[in-house]
Amino acid sequence: MKTNGTMKALSIGLQGEIFAIDAQSVREILDLVPITEVPNAQPFASGLINVRGRVVPLADLRVMFGMERPEPDHDTRIVVLEIAIGGEPAIAGILADKVYDVADLELASVEEAPKIGMRWRADYVRGIGKRGDDFIIIPNMDRIFSTEGVDGRPEERHAA
Amino acid sequence: MTTIDPADTFRQEARDLLDALEQSLLDLERDPSSNELVDSTFRALHTLKGSGAMFGFDEVSDFVHEFETAFDKVRKGKADINPGLVAIALTAKDHIHKLVEQPGVHAAKGQPILEALRKIVESGGSQTAPARALEASTTLPPQPALATWRIIFRLPSDALAFGTNPLLLLDELRELGPCTVTALTDRLPPLENMEPTQSYLGWEVILSSDGGREKVEDVFMFIRDGMELLIEPVASQAQAAPATTSAPALQGAHEAKQPERAETSKEPVATTHDRAGTSLRVAAERLDELMDRVGELVIAQSRLSQIAGASGDINLKAVAEELQRLASGLRDTTMSIRMVPIGSLFGRFRRMVYDLSRDLGKEVEFVTTGEETELDKTVVEKLADPLVHIIRNSVDHGLETAAERTGKGKPGPGTVRLSAVHAGAEVAISITDDGRGLDAQRIRAKAEENGLLSPDAKITEPELYQFLFHPGFSTAREVTALSGRGVGMDVVKRTIEGLRGNIDITTTPGKGTTVTLRLPLTLAIIEGMLVRVGNGRYTIPLSAVEECVELPRDVEQRASGRHFLNIRGTLVPFLSLRELFKVKTPPELYQKVVIVSSGETRVGLVVDQILGNNQTVIKSLSKLHSDIEGLSGATILGDGTVALILDVGQLVGFGQAFEERLRNGRAA
Amino acid sequence: MSKTILTIDDSPSIRQMVSLTLSAAGYNVLEASDGADGYNKAIGTRVDAVLTDLNMPGMNGLDFIRKYRAHPSSAGVPIVFLTTESDDALKQEAKAAGATGWIVKPFKQDQLIAIVKKVAGQ
Repeated sequence: MKTNGTMKALSIGLQGEIFAIDAQSVREILDLVPITEVPNAQPFASGLINVRGRVVPLADLRVMFGMERPEPDHDTRIVVLEIAIGGEPAIAGILADKVYDVADLELASVEEAPKIGMRWRADYVRGIGKRGDDFIIIPNMDRIFSTEGVDGRPEERHAA
Repeated sequence: MTTIDPADTFRQEARDLLDALEQSLLDLERDPSSNELVDSTFRALHTLKGSGAMFGFDEVSDFVHEFETAFDKVRKGKADINPGLVAIALTAKDHIHKLVEQPGVHAAKGQPILEALRKIVESGGSQTAPARALEASTTLPPQPALATWRIIFRLPSDALAFGTNPLLLLDELRELGPCTVTALTDRLPPLENMEPTQSYLGWEVILSSDGGREKVEDVFMFIRDGMELLIEPVASQAQAAPATTSAPALQGAHEAKQPERAETSKEPVATTHDRAGTSLRVAAERLDELMDRVGELVIAQSRLSQIAGASGDINLKAVAEELQRLASGLRDTTMSIRMVPIGSLFGRFRRMVYDLSRDLGKEVEFVTTGEETELDKTVVEKLADPLVHIIRNSVDHGLETAAERTGKGKPGPGTVRLSAVHAGAEVAISITDDGRGLDAQRIRAKAEENGLLSPDAKITEPELYQFLFHPGFSTAREVTALSGRGVGMDVVKRTIEGLRGNIDITTTPGKGTTVTLRLPLTLAIIEGMLVRVGNGRYTIPLSAVEECVELPRDVEQRASGRHFLNIRGTLVPFLSLRELFKVKTPPELYQKVVIVSSGETRVGLVVDQILGNNQTVIKSLSKLHSDIEGLSGATILGDGTVALILDVGQLVGFGQAFEERLRNGRAA
Repeated sequence: MSKTILTIDDSPSIRQMVSLTLSAAGYNVLEASDGADGYNKAIGTRVDAVLTDLNMPGMNGLDFIRKYRAHPSSAGVPIVFLTTESDDALKQEAKAAGATGWIVKPFKQDQLIAIVKKVAGQ
């Protein structure tokens, strides 16, 4: 990943961890809206929401990172992003337990994810940086939303 | 206002004419004695020539002129239509097409075609010299000198009724130079005998002009026959004495040529390409925009209806209802604008089959029905390639050679039948050939060879044929130039599925194969029935819904394995959507069954509650959800939430597969 | 007030050209794509001249001329038909049917204006 300059990052909280989303890809941040459950969908993307007349899939990154998934509360937000799904540009929403702020992230301070000892799949993590005293995880959105497995065949979406 | 380039209009018109020309030529091959067809061919050529010249497409005009000359012999009965003539005529048509699209590039290639055309048509008689449309030839050299003319004229008796205005003639003379005009009233009848449409007056005009005699004659060019006209030079520039009443030498009456009675035995033309009323060409993007606006309107109106329903305000409800009616009408009209008859594609295929049959040396009867079946414009466009591929397969691999066929007792020419028909919410397009059919064993073997199927797996025949749609799968023994590489069918399937349709193959070994495409009628807005299953709400396209019944409690409680309903004597399989969607909430006491159909097959969908009808704007699902079975899209309901749209075709397929397994299980 | 010219031709490109040319010259132009529609327009509105192709499917130009001339409102209205040079017999027939004048195809814009001005004035 890029190692120079800064990235404007939106910090969101998921089960106690902090994740950085590229602010440029964020279209809007919504309060919780009614979520329509899609039957037989993969747990990672099991919902659909209405964003200004568009039907947008709702994804839960907590699935990919093997986290607990409690019911939403009054802090829960939906971050609507422009991302690539299966290689094509699309819009999707992701659940966030908390939304913090938008701040500059020095890319030079970001390190590659450790090859061992990390409890998440390495290919879902682009790097780990620092936000104040805390670690901030930069997820690999392309990989997470990719509809193919590493060998090119479609795979079940789940963590580790 | 956008400026339209006349050349573009001509090109579009030329394309239409060339299509019509091609159809006429193909029809002529079947029916060489039809004067009507020869006439329509000729007319198309004539218009192409004329319009081409008008808009600067000179090569087109020149080429068509030669083509037309040759065809004129046919029209006059001096040459016959035979397959050779049709073949070369089609080549000539292709050439004209190239000339229209890229003038200047292809001109030279026209010569050999014209040569061949002339040869075929020549029956010994010498060719008539091409009659070029030229401006009227001048006979007299212009007289630059100023001259004075005495012009005396009387109009033919019907001239006034037929639109000749003597005042305008006088104006024209005045434009040539200063005039002195005198009316000649010597032939005026008494008032009571006067006919208002008859011309009784004459005029004498003394004109000084340097334009020459010809210019004077030109003024009267339209009425020369049957009029009295005298043009004589006057010696001096001084005005001549006023005309006497003596009748001057009349030229007109004797100049009238006897009009040759042209052939009036033209048959009334009843072409199948009748132009009904006036029509409009609209850029496709504008239609798309219109559709988007209408789509948004439908959603907004839907929400208004919900709000109005919930409020107690009678006036609000009334307006909401009115809006619903209007939005519905607008939607229907807009949808219908986008509908075009599939016949526009069929014409193209005729030519392709004609070429194919010549290339492969197989005689093919190509029969089409349902040309007038209408589909959304974009669907029709996207169908072209898949259909081409399927038809090619039929002709190339399905049909046997003439020798093989007669050996089997089949008629020599193979038949490929293409049909399109509306069926509920769908259009069914089928391509049937009476060829050798599919070899289930070969397909099975190939599937196992490719690792797609394990040798002991049990699958139904329709499922087996679906393997033909796998990329790279081809059981063709040889790869011909046209097909057999296995590149096509997977793309065909993807295209059809991209149109939210499905594709099936049925076959009888030795007798033939049928490929059936089913496509939804509209892409964007449908009328839907809203149902509840557990906590989720789903929409079913209303045109697929046949009826709704209650699920008898005893049926529900029987052991699984008995998933059939008795509907007026027929057994209809039913699917529990609760099971399909793995719904965990407790079921409704009295469940409902919505009987839906796709083509000839029906299935009952068991739901918890039927909520009513709504207009549904179809939104497609992202790749994250598009593979999920049973769902074909999503929509936004009046309350702003998202509901999923059920894929009736797939669900019917499940019901059918289930039924078959049951049957196979029983038979085993 | 500008004069109204009705043009009847099954060729959209010719209709367009006639319409643009004559409008630019100050005429009001009505269009019809076939004889039947042309007839309805001709008797339904006040036209100062009619331009018609002869070679059309459905009701051809000759039939149009005959039918229109049979209607009283056609009295005095000039009808100009489109023809190619070689169609001399057809010219005679058209005139006998009631045509006033003709224009030879292919024609240029100024020729068209000249002929319309000739029969209908400006």
